[in-house]
Amino acid sequence: MSLPLAEKAGQHPLPIEFADEKESIKITGFWMFLVTDVLIFASLFSTYAVFRTSVAMGPTPDQLFRMGPVMLETILLLTSSFTIGLGVYFMRKGQVRALMGWMIVTILLGAGFVGTEIHDFVTFAQMGATWHTSAFLSAFDILVGTHGAHVTFGIFWAITLLFQLRKRGITPQTARKVYTYSLYWHFLDIVWIFIYTFVYLNGKIV
Amino acid sequence: MSEAPKAMTAEEAYHNENDKVLRFLEPRFHEEKFPSIQILGYIGSLILTFGAYFLVMNHVLPPVALLSVILILAVFQAALQLGVFMHIREGRGLAWQLIPLYFVFFVALGMVAMSIWIMLFKSGVS
Repeated sequence: MSLPLAEKAGQHPLPIEFADEKESIKITGFWMFLVTDVLIFASLFSTYAVFRTSVAMGPTPDQLFRMGPVMLETILLLTSSFTIGLGVYFMRKGQVRALMGWMIVTILLGAGFVGTEIHDFVTFAQMGATWHTSAFLSAFDILVGTHGAHVTFGIFWAITLLFQLRKRGITPQTARKVYTYSLYWHFLDIVWIFIYTFVYLNGKIV
Repeated sequence: MSEAPKAMTAEEAYHNENDKVLRFLEPRFHEEKFPSIQILGYIGSLILTFGAYFLVMNHVLPPVALLSVILILAVFQAALQLGVFMHIREGRGLAWQLIPLYFVFFVALGMVAMSIWIMLFKSGVS
């Protein structure tokens, strides 16, 4: 049986990132990467679920977590997810300046997130709560740290995309790269929502 | 020699009664003049986030029920991100990503839930 792989006849054309067949296969490939990344975070969440009560002589989650910085990080990341969504919207309209503007806003919000998180971790370390302290803190640092490392990588990725957009404009290739980057960024937002709920808010439920 | 089977059009294939998978994987695109759905999605995610925060900070429910409720809110928000911002149903020809995505959600939920479940048996190693 032959599968209908072209766009539906008579309807609107495909968005630019799906216009080239080879580029759209790479988008499917990127979804497969996200699927494997879900598994990484699922194992880290399982580790945290198992160890979160093993606080040894260290602080408990309720004693350690301060919700102020956490809420700030959550708002920054949610907003950056929204701004990159607007970026993709304007990319499909072919407006390269609007796309680059929203990407810069996204990068700044992401940098604010990473900065707040690093400040939070340094504060914990000064209180003597490092990943040597207890199994809970080992699991916490590796889960939240892996997410933070992903966000940091995403910031550098976005900067390289900005240079490509400035040089080449919106082509099927750069559009595919921006689209996969937006998938990555929204995925990190989803992971953060579960960290926020299962780690931070759960730590406040006594 | 028999005639080669005629290639189906996209429309026929997506609505072929004998192949429900094709209908399930039919990509859907969403276009609008103004990014209203993104703005609504953003407002919705803020409401879900702050809703969970106030539920926890005011201790409105017993612990296990409270955790269940905020986890359900988190799942809603993940679905919102996937649907509104990640364009989960978009693809060229077929939205193949749906199958591994649903599968990995199943596996991830299993890993976390089974880990929690097995640790409920504290005897011997605690």
